[in-house]
Amino acid sequence: MTGVVAVFSALLKSWMRSKAGIFFSFLFPIMLLFIFSTVFGGGGTSQYVLFVQNMDVDSKGNPTELSQGFVEAVRATGAFDMRSLEHDVDIKEYVKMNPSFSFRYRILVIPEGFHEQAARKKVSVQVKVTVNTLEFVGKEFAAYMSPEDVEGIQRGELALQSVLGGQGGESPQLVLWMDEQDMAAPALLGIIHGVANAFSNGLLGSEEVLALEGMPLEQRTLKVVDYFLPGFIAAFIMTNGVIGATSTISEYRRNGQVKRLAATPLPKTSWILGNVLEQTVLAFILTGVMIALGWVVFDVRLVPDAYALSLVFVGAVAFCSVGMVLGGVIKDVEAASGAGNAIAFPMMFLSGAFWPIEQMPDYLQEVARVLPLHYFHDGLLQIMVYKNPGNAGMGFVVLGCFAAVMMVIAVKITKWKEF
Amino acid sequence: MPEEVIRVENLVKTYKPVVAVNSISFTVKEGEIFSLVGPNGAGKTTTVEILECLRTPTSGKASVLGYDVTHDEKEIKKRIGAMPQDFSAFERLTVRENVELIARIYQVDPDLRSVLEELGMWEARDRRFESLSGGMKRRAGICMALISNPVLLFLDEPTTGLDPQARKETWDVIRRLRSMGKTVVLTSHYMEEVEQLSDRAAVIYGGEIIAQGSVDELISAYGGGIRIRVSPYNDEIERVLMETAQKVVREDSSIEGVFHDRIQVGRTLAALYGQDEKYHLDIVEPSMDNVFSRLAGGRVDERGELI
Repeated sequence: MTGVVAVFSALLKSWMRSKAGIFFSFLFPIMLLFIFSTVFGGGGTSQYVLFVQNMDVDSKGNPTELSQGFVEAVRATGAFDMRSLEHDVDIKEYVKMNPSFSFRYRILVIPEGFHEQAARKKVSVQVKVTVNTLEFVGKEFAAYMSPEDVEGIQRGELALQSVLGGQGGESPQLVLWMDEQDMAAPALLGIIHGVANAFSNGLLGSEEVLALEGMPLEQRTLKVVDYFLPGFIAAFIMTNGVIGATSTISEYRRNGQVKRLAATPLPKTSWILGNVLEQTVLAFILTGVMIALGWVVFDVRLVPDAYALSLVFVGAVAFCSVGMVLGGVIKDVEAASGAGNAIAFPMMFLSGAFWPIEQMPDYLQEVARVLPLHYFHDGLLQIMVYKNPGNAGMGFVVLGCFAAVMMVIAVKITKWKEF
Repeated sequence: MPEEVIRVENLVKTYKPVVAVNSISFTVKEGEIFSLVGPNGAGKTTTVEILECLRTPTSGKASVLGYDVTHDEKEIKKRIGAMPQDFSAFERLTVRENVELIARIYQVDPDLRSVLEELGMWEARDRRFESLSGGMKRRAGICMALISNPVLLFLDEPTTGLDPQARKETWDVIRRLRSMGKTVVLTSHYMEEVEQLSDRAAVIYGGEIIAQGSVDELISAYGGGIRIRVSPYNDEIERVLMETAQKVVREDSSIEGVFHDRIQVGRTLAALYGQDEKYHLDIVEPSMDNVFSRLAGGRVDERGELI
């Protein structure tokens, strides 16, 4: 135990005097937390850019009343940052000539004759509804009416059908141009489709059969950063362990420090445990600093309890052990650092630490569910945000088993002889 | 009779297919400075690291302070001090902190000041290891090896890469270890260093010990004798050398006589001083360089390579 404490205190002192170590362990995660929280935490616009090409114009080039009304209805959703495109512009040429025009932009085309077609369609639909009503009344209530009344209804039906013959027609065809890779396309189509339906109902003077109101699900008034924070804590404990420990151990092996210590009575396990203890203490400091910053700067509501701290402990041990394994195998510092990065960065982004895994394709979601980091940040999320420590049970089990296996491998693989 | 602190018998270490150490045997006695000398790749470090329990021998026997290197690793490590080749310490820790770390590992509470002062490191105690010169780093390394007050120290290439001044300072430190009663096992490719510091030495080459004994014995046996070179020379000088030297070598304008007997050297010099003619005379004492050249057929350069 004396050896563990001696190694731990030496490593910790050494780390505290390393500017690069402090930067990558603390300042870098804090910088990223600021960036993510600022970008995704509100304050900016989340509107989608939508170009509108209104081709339904009068002889003077002014948009028709109905087409302009539709544009205003789309604008009223608040979902779009709307920009106009001249009615005589060839869209394909325009996109080709403007390289900056990317998948973040969409173009809604209101066709020529929109007003006229919509008005005709409105009459056609209203007549159809009236004819259907007369038919319904004629069939269902014929027994209660005089023959003259029934005959009158049938004459009216025939008269309206003759009108319909001349007023029928196609609905005006709106077109939304988008990039094939545009992930927001289904949502945007849905919004514009909803506007078109509401616009149609308005023209016909009908009422909504179904009503919908958006309500906030979370009643604890959590902010976006509250959701980010557990992911960030987990991800950076992981990177400190996997990348930091790997590089450090590899460097100590390369420069002969491990050999120097191996020539003393210090057991190999004390060296490993000293390193793991150091990373664990750093993990707790990182957790404290991130949450304190969250409180001060972002006014977050998270408070780590005993469950959260226990999970941080298990996670730190697990990922530091990965670093011990890699550092024990790879002597070349650059190669060790590369290997640490190659493991840590894909895991960081694939595990859903920075965004919900539901946003990822199905096969990547399956990948995320086999990554230990997923269970780490999900466990912290369950404990710290949802206040459901019971749901973090899987996190404890997976990370605990992972830590035990990695620790055993680290002890087996760390060379204390034959350098 | 000094006690034997190291006994090595027919020690072999192979890294297939290379035989790094090939059936070597030697002993080290208490209180002496014993050197393993040879070029890079000769097997010096492998041998020392087996004795430090940092490598496992393939076959043969080795005991340190009466403990077997393959079975009593813990007991040996508790009792020795080691400064491995190309070692490092915690770069951002001070000299004092690094030495204290080793003391805590050995679970000893030494008089830190006396150790640091003895090796001239007290003034530098609060300097970070990374800021020390090469020579000071080695001295700090010796402090770390010495802090547990071991009876036996292993110093693996303690002066390699140091400038001449730093090398001489390190020699002084090693001499002080001898005066402290420590037994020191030293490896080096510097023949002069071995000659200056060692009581006994083993010349190791190609994994084998090709000669061992006290430095005087080695020089006497393999140094090739004392050489007297005279230039220019005349018939009378040639006659004196022919009568007194074991061997005479003539070159264009000089002549050289080789002597194994110092009394004969004295007689020859007396005879030569009586000559009227002016000449230049050099007396070349044999050294470990000559020993190695004679045994291995080449010299070892500054970097430890055989040339």
